[in-house]
Amino acid sequence: MAPRPARAALLVAGLLLALLAAGCGQGPSGAGPITLVFKHAKILGPADPVPGLLRRFEAEHPGVRVHSEALTWSSDEQHQFYVINLEGGSPPFDVMMLDVIWVPEFARAGWILDLTAQVPPAECDAHFASAIEPATQDGRLWALPWFMNVGLLYYRKDLLAKYGLAPPETYDELARQVRLIQAGERDPRLDGYLWQGKQYEGGMVNVLEALWANGTRVIDERGRPFPEPERAREALAALRGLIESGVSPPWVTAADEELTRRPFGDGRAIFLRGWPYALDLFELPDSRVRQRVGVAPMPRLAHGPVGAASTGGAHLAVSARTRHPALAVELVRFLTSDVAQRAMTEGAALRPSRPALYHDAQLIARDPTLPALLPLILRGHPRPITPYYLMLSTTLQPEFSAVLVGRKSPARAVQDGIAQVRHLEQALGR
Amino acid sequence: MRGGRLRDALVLAALALYAAPFFWQALTSVRPDAELLPLASLLPGRLTAVHYEVVLAKSLMPRALLNSLGVALISTALAVGLGALAGYALVRLPVPGRGPILLAMIAATAFPQIATVSPLYLLMRTLGLRDTWLALILANASFALPLVIWLLAGFIREIPRALEEAAATDGADRMATLYWVILPLVAPGAASAALLAFLFSWNEFLFAYSFTATEASRTVPVALALFPGVFEVPWGDIAAASLLASLPPVLIVVGFQRYLVRGLLAGALRE
Amino acid sequence: MASPRCDTSSRRSAADVADRRLGWLLLAPALLLLGGLTVYPAIWVIWLSLQYRVPVFGIARWAGAAHYAFLTVDSRFWNAAGVTALFTVASVALESILGLAMALALRGQQRGRRVAVALLLLAWALPSVVTAKMFEWLYHPSGGLVNFLLGGRAVNWLGDPALALPSLVLADVWRTTPFVALLCYARLLTIPAELYEAAEVDGAAGVQAFARITWPLVRPILLVALLFRTLDALRAFDIMFVLTGGGPAGSTETLTVYAYRALFQTLQIGFGSAIGVVVFVLVMLVAWAYLRLINRQEAAA
Repeated sequence: MAPRPARAALLVAGLLLALLAAGCGQGPSGAGPITLVFKHAKILGPADPVPGLLRRFEAEHPGVRVHSEALTWSSDEQHQFYVINLEGGSPPFDVMMLDVIWVPEFARAGWILDLTAQVPPAECDAHFASAIEPATQDGRLWALPWFMNVGLLYYRKDLLAKYGLAPPETYDELARQVRLIQAGERDPRLDGYLWQGKQYEGGMVNVLEALWANGTRVIDERGRPFPEPERAREALAALRGLIESGVSPPWVTAADEELTRRPFGDGRAIFLRGWPYALDLFELPDSRVRQRVGVAPMPRLAHGPVGAASTGGAHLAVSARTRHPALAVELVRFLTSDVAQRAMTEGAALRPSRPALYHDAQLIARDPTLPALLPLILRGHPRPITPYYLMLSTTLQPEFSAVLVGRKSPARAVQDGIAQVRHLEQALGR
Repeated sequence: MRGGRLRDALVLAALALYAAPFFWQALTSVRPDAELLPLASLLPGRLTAVHYEVVLAKSLMPRALLNSLGVALISTALAVGLGALAGYALVRLPVPGRGPILLAMIAATAFPQIATVSPLYLLMRTLGLRDTWLALILANASFALPLVIWLLAGFIREIPRALEEAAATDGADRMATLYWVILPLVAPGAASAALLAFLFSWNEFLFAYSFTATEASRTVPVALALFPGVFEVPWGDIAAASLLASLPPVLIVVGFQRYLVRGLLAGALRE
Repeated sequence: MASPRCDTSSRRSAADVADRRLGWLLLAPALLLLGGLTVYPAIWVIWLSLQYRVPVFGIARWAGAAHYAFLTVDSRFWNAAGVTALFTVASVALESILGLAMALALRGQQRGRRVAVALLLLAWALPSVVTAKMFEWLYHPSGGLVNFLLGGRAVNWLGDPALALPSLVLADVWRTTPFVALLCYARLLTIPAELYEAAEVDGAAGVQAFARITWPLVRPILLVALLFRTLDALRAFDIMFVLTGGGPAGSTETLTVYAYRALFQTLQIGFGSAIGVVVFVLVMLVAWAYLRLINRQEAAA
């Protein structure tokens, strides 16, 4: 007659074994046709073109199935997912969608395949140089561009026209226009210039654009941080000045793309810095700013050029541990081909990475803004192309954020930023 | 104690007010999206179960709940099982150096998780235990063990030696005494320790966040922290998920209050 | 005690040896688990802090005290240390006062004790992530209850660097005060009513009774509660990480959050370990100081 503790223990043990079995109950998928796993973020827009494209690839390659798996929405989480799975050794995917800034990092870490041999130079030339360049490391090609992004200055055509203004070329002019329009409209809910100042990669992009607009960079070819500290200080001061002078509302320091797009889309702001996807949302039938939005190049500061916007976008790469390298590379080439990018531009709020498509009559008929975007993309340039870009970004983001909320002076932030980057480079052995 | 009933009621009302954030979250979980942002009135115009539907049918929470339950139950069993044996040994058996060992246990309760997370991360990576229940079970059990041992040692010490000696003279050896005499008597104390260990494991975030990468292996706190929002944050859904995540703790507080309180007090009052 | 036995020396030592062996056997699994997953990592992290370790790029080489040297001049580290100190002191102070007040209020409770304790413990038992999400929603500029109760003013509790830390402290105090309250309450219950009655007879009531009877008896347990709470506050991670992520601009970035970011965001295992070691040493020092204080109090009593 077992005492109560023993019976209880047996019961618990039984329950635990059952739970353990449930927890481990994730068997591997069975054998069968060759299956490629394509990991990508959900494509937003009126229709998702990806399933159609995958079926087409399957039709052209009998015996092959492509299984599509969604990534989380947040870029940081996607990166963490990739790092943890690729580091672990046998990642359960073959083709992956990468943010362009991760390509050099993944290449250096040995996680993605070298595509140089399988991609003819003519194919590379068919894409934007600012899309191919960040995907090249040590002279080899590691990923192909899937779609393209560039930072744009959105403005309210109707408001600027009402006061006889042309899109501003400098930040000073932008501030002046905001004050003029706000005084004229006398609408307390009309904000001036919305941009992304939150402490995340998007905020870094905004700061980089301001640095470039003042003719300086965050890091030079030799890896020296802030080669022109005075200009960097000016750029940061300019951004902080936008908030202090009221041109931008204080909440931009906690705002990301969506938190700024919505108010602009509701007609509550004059200017917005955003990516091209927003344009399609502004032109939806029920949008309050339909037909009243224009795009212009990013303004400049004292020492830099107009239109110094950041390019971005997603690339496709092949996992180095894939069991079907040739097939996976073919899938990548197919999805980045002229045909596929055309389908993606038509179906989703995405812009192609092939310049030729911006002159395509069929596409222009659907989206008349394409020709206007082309010069803007050509003027933009990519973020620093280094395997350590993310480390750099996450190291500097807190410094920039401190300036934007007024906790640190720009000079101090640049100084501390230099110290932090030098420490980072020490660790990396450079 | 004059004016007792009124005073009692006021105190209860004050405490209900203290717990108001939780009740507000419960209310949020049944408030329709349209009434969430901006907030127009305290009480919702109508109630909706859509948030729970989304959370249970379309989110990762059900899987996360299973993960959390499994990890918490098994790590609790491990911690209490090993802890009971170790506690008995430290209190009743002439183990050399048991004083320093007990002292080391107490010191170990103060170890910060942030300090051990990096080596543990590397360890789990090397052993290929990332995304597994085992990694979290071992980490949670190990972290809860010092407190469990300390508690159980205290409870066992309270058991009169006379009982053990009576069993000894009846011919029972140590193991039998442990099994038939000690364990049944320390069962309530073990229940308290188990509740604390379970709560710790259920609520544990840092290790779970660091050792898991895929969505399928997340525990409840991680799933809640990483709750997906495509464009906007789905506050209603998050509230519903929060309520689900709070079920075991609430059940414990309401149903096993006596054991919980005993465990908390014993942990603090033991000199 | 033990009944007298005849010749026992050899029999006793044999039983002793058997007991000792059994003791080790029973202790071994626990020690193994602890040794492998708590003690070994505690030593390993010191080793890691003396290296440059970036696993993603295969970097692993000796750094010596380079990380610690950098920390001494790192403004972000000192900011984090300041935030940690401020957070700890503010939380613990508020919790003690509030917890003691709650315990005093509860002491006279006749009816509904179980309900009262349940309502109290609810806040403590919830997962910290749940509490963080709960307060994030309460503090929401337009959808949050706090701003609603303030008449619709859109205060940005978590986005304003001046307000973020107090908001965080409030959330943590809400979560942990019940622990202090419970401890004090349990202690108060053990104080016999006769003591108060005797004091009343002597003409001392209310505040004087508190000062002469309640406070000296409750102080030791309050000190123990403070010890636990201080150590917990120094090690706190979940609530600030989920509620504010250390922002805005590092105004709520404690040492633990800084360490986490260094470890898993910039992937510098060596540097992050160094910060972790600093937290470790800090916690141990504080624990030691508190224990000495408690011992001295007990010796005086």
